[in-house]
Amino acid sequence: MSKVDDFNKMPDGFDLGQAIAEADRCLLCHDAPCSKGCPADTKPGEFIRKFRLKNITGAIRTIKENNILGGACGVLCPTERLCEKECSAKLRSAGHPEDRDDPVRIGKIQRFLIEHSWEMGFKVLEKGEPQKGRIAIIGSGPAGLSCAAELAKAGYQAVIHESRPEAGGMIRYGVVPFRFDLDFLDQELNDLRDLGVEFKFNSRIEGKESAENLLKEGYDAVFLGTGLWNGTDLKKDEEDIDGVFDSIDYLSGLRDGRLEEFQRRIENSVVAVIGGGATAMDCVESAQKLGAKDVYLVYRRSFLQMPAEKPERIHAMEAGVHFLFLNQPTNYVTDGYNRLKGLKLLQTVLGDADESGRRRPVEVEGSDWILDASIVIKAIGNIPEDQSPEWYPNVKTDEKKLVITDPKTGETSVKGIFAGGDIVRGPALVVTAVQDGKNAAKAIVNYLRQ
Amino acid sequence: MKDKKVDLSIEFCGVKFKNPFLLASSPVSNSAEMVEKAYEAGWSGVAFKTLNSDRIPIIHPSPRMNSYHYGHKKLVGLQNVEQISDRPLKDNLLDFLYLKKKYPDHVMISSIMGFSNDEWEYLAKISEDNGADMLELNFSCPHMCVEGTGHHVGKAFDLIEKFTSTVKKAVGIPVIAKMTPNITDMTEPALYAKNGGADAISAINTVSGISEVGLDDMVPKPNIFGIGAISGTSGPAVKPIGLHFIADMAKCQDLALPLCGIGGIETWIDALEYMLLGASTIQVCTGIIHYGYRIVEDMIEGLTDFMIDKGISKVDNLVGLALKNLDTTDKFDLERQGVTEYDLDRCVGCGQCYIICKDAAGQALDWDEKLRQPKLIEDKCLSCMICSFVCPVPGLISFREMPGNWQRNETKVMDESLEAELKYSPYQP
Ligand SMILES: Cc1cc2nc3c(=O)[nH]c(=O)nc-3n(C[C@H](O)[C@H](O)[C@H](O)COP(=O)(O)OP(=O)(O)OC[C@H]3O[C@@H](n4cnc5c(N)ncnc54)[C@H](O)[C@@H]3O)c2cc1C
Ligand SMILES: Cc1cc2nc3c(=O)[nH]c(=O)nc-3n(C[C@H](O)[C@H](O)[C@H](O)COP(=O)(O)O)c2cc1C
Ligand code: SF4
Repeated sequence: MSKVDDFNKMPDGFDLGQAIAEADRCLLCHDAPCSKGCPADTKPGEFIRKFRLKNITGAIRTIKENNILGGACGVLCPTERLCEKECSAKLRSAGHPEDRDDPVRIGKIQRFLIEHSWEMGFKVLEKGEPQKGRIAIIGSGPAGLSCAAELAKAGYQAVIHESRPEAGGMIRYGVVPFRFDLDFLDQELNDLRDLGVEFKFNSRIEGKESAENLLKEGYDAVFLGTGLWNGTDLKKDEEDIDGVFDSIDYLSGLRDGRLEEFQRRIENSVVAVIGGGATAMDCVESAQKLGAKDVYLVYRRSFLQMPAEKPERIHAMEAGVHFLFLNQPTNYVTDGYNRLKGLKLLQTVLGDADESGRRRPVEVEGSDWILDASIVIKAIGNIPEDQSPEWYPNVKTDEKKLVITDPKTGETSVKGIFAGGDIVRGPALVVTAVQDGKNAAKAIVNYLRQ
Repeated sequence: MKDKKVDLSIEFCGVKFKNPFLLASSPVSNSAEMVEKAYEAGWSGVAFKTLNSDRIPIIHPSPRMNSYHYGHKKLVGLQNVEQISDRPLKDNLLDFLYLKKKYPDHVMISSIMGFSNDEWEYLAKISEDNGADMLELNFSCPHMCVEGTGHHVGKAFDLIEKFTSTVKKAVGIPVIAKMTPNITDMTEPALYAKNGGADAISAINTVSGISEVGLDDMVPKPNIFGIGAISGTSGPAVKPIGLHFIADMAKCQDLALPLCGIGGIETWIDALEYMLLGASTIQVCTGIIHYGYRIVEDMIEGLTDFMIDKGISKVDNLVGLALKNLDTTDKFDLERQGVTEYDLDRCVGCGQCYIICKDAAGQALDWDEKLRQPKLIEDKCLSCMICSFVCPVPGLISFREMPGNWQRNETKVMDESLEAELKYSPYQP
């Protein structure tokens, strides 16, 4: 395999034997805590039982009917703090002399079952009896896809408007391919196409009231699932510097045809990534894989305060990334041609907990120093696009420009407009976006039936 | 597009079942409270826990069961010394009335066991009078604490005929005879039951066995205060025995009675196997003791998906489908031979195949120490396939038929020079 293939392909999941052996560990709990731990109600307790009792088609059906992105979730969910968190098999093993922290690997079984359905050509989902009602879905990320699928299953016509050339949102243009590859995504999207969901690509909803106007243009309801596509800058009024990238631009570049261009640039250079979340992890690991000389993760707090999932943190460390904790970037250093030369840092120490419950970084005066780097990637939080409130001026948003909804139904302050996913929650997960899409679809069906 | 509608309902002795899945007469069908929960889960009927007439008090030994584990696999078999119902007959009959009133579409089979001719008659009649749709005559419990009952009857074929005919004369509802597997040929007692008028045969009851012996107390389990007994084994371990008897009876042209398959059924695949070999309904006990009533959801869903996939719309059409491919061993075509095939790209290098091929088969494998992989010497392979049973990678080892002129190599003798000392002349018939 070439380096680029290696980059573009995720590791294999379980085979049948491994999946059976893992499912055999399940205690088939009466009151399955795993099922309670899944934000999208994918019912792992049920699908593992079905699998155990050789009802494989039923197991696949349980997953797919509840979670249109069951495959993606099986790969991407931080299961150790969702379904696998309260696994009784794990709790049982915790008292074990070896103190194993070893839940049933639910995500991996889930992924296996979905891949198995593709292999055996078993299709679960069907279009519902045709109903009157056409719904515009803005954005083909997990939230939009889930909402569209649910509506199509109920017989409604769902039309997805997507500004980019292909579907998937952050799981196509954000998450790195060696964690989640395109073949897999495309297979899962086929399940949606079979439902008759209509996609309009390169079809950006923009300009004043553009989203609200859809209600006047023949749509009976609108779902906003536009996600968070602006990065956060290090400082106010940041000017463009050659060598400074925003994580969204960088990560989507790896997916939209600029991979080799980035590879050329990164190879043998020093890369500094600012941030401590999931996005930062994807940035450092990809830069490492693309052949950077050194990759620094620059984070103003310490290991325990990082928002990134623990397995990913450890993975990145093992990949050879230098974790530079307790350093606050303050500015960029450039040469005379506006090309990046380094990153100016200020050391910090941890003070008391802040409102997030994590200890706050306190800058150490006079401790500034310069890290030589020719590339800096900012991964300090994704936020809604600046102009997004203009698209739906009557929809109430908060000070972060996140859309305000009823969390159970996704209803916004405007009748007929619903929303879900990251544009409502801020940075969240695929599985929560799936749930939002499902909830909103149910509410939309109710609304249309009124 | 495949037809998505299949019909799981089936007629058995003229009685309609909404699916072929029933509770076996056992602790899983001990009361209406339990049966009601089972119906809600999807079971179509029940062979109620075997009634007794209150003449002799029934007391269950304690503890009454032992699990037969294999490695980390639990309940591969179950050992039990439970007796027939210890509830007063009146209570059981009240439960019949409740269930028939609330679930008229579910089939109530009253399982009975008498100790004398008129007791069989009494229990049959009173069951019919209180709503039973069918009877099941328990000729087969292997560990009744009362002499002359249970499988003692099932082994005394004339008693089977006598009691069946007594019952048949007493009632109008269909009568099933439940057989013991603790015999060699089940068609024989089944024919006696048929002569007595039985409308159907159910099999098997538990297999006489001992699953474990306590090593400290030297008591076979379950240990009833210092005593163990040969008693009933059930669960997955007995499925091959159940399938054998059902297939035998299905093939018996003189018998030609509808069959109800029992023994080791947990999944839709187990149930389907019984049906393919001639059972039109099936019963489950130990599967429920292991997992609860919920397993019927998976039996229904799994069988439905299978039928859709195969384009079979009525469950009836599955019954006996494998019988035409079941024959005696003298019918095998011995001209056709094959060997194993190894997909070594997927080999993990455990070497279990190598060990057992050397110790228990054709010595047809070499071990490549560098690659840590087996190497097949094709013309020594016996095609016993045992290597594929221990291989941890699914499908890595498969069977391949060889061309007609292919010859397996005879197993070599160690020292041909010993021929001088050999005392041998060929057998002359
Ligand atoms: C780098 C990275 C790694 C991540 N890793 C994980 C992980 O491992 N596990 C996990 O569960 N989650 C992960 N997440 C989070 C997850 O990807 C998001 O929570 C999820 O994708 C949110 O879904 P969404 O549908 O709300 O929005 P998005 O996925 O952002 O999709 C929004 C879609 O709307 C389109 N759009 C936006 N505006 C318009 C417009 N005006 N007109 C038309 N279309 C528009 C966008 O092009 C996009 O396709 C990660 C996120 C990032 C950034
Ligand atoms: C604990 C226990 C009690 C049983 N009691 C009865 C009974 O009262 N009457 C009867 O006909 N069979 C009885 N059986 C036998 C079952 O109905 C069934 O025939 C047998 O267990 C094989 O099926 P299985 O492998 O699904 O358990 C009993 C079995 C068990 C395990
Ligand atoms: S969707 Fe995610 S959280 Fe839910 S069961 Fe599957 S892997 Fe676990």
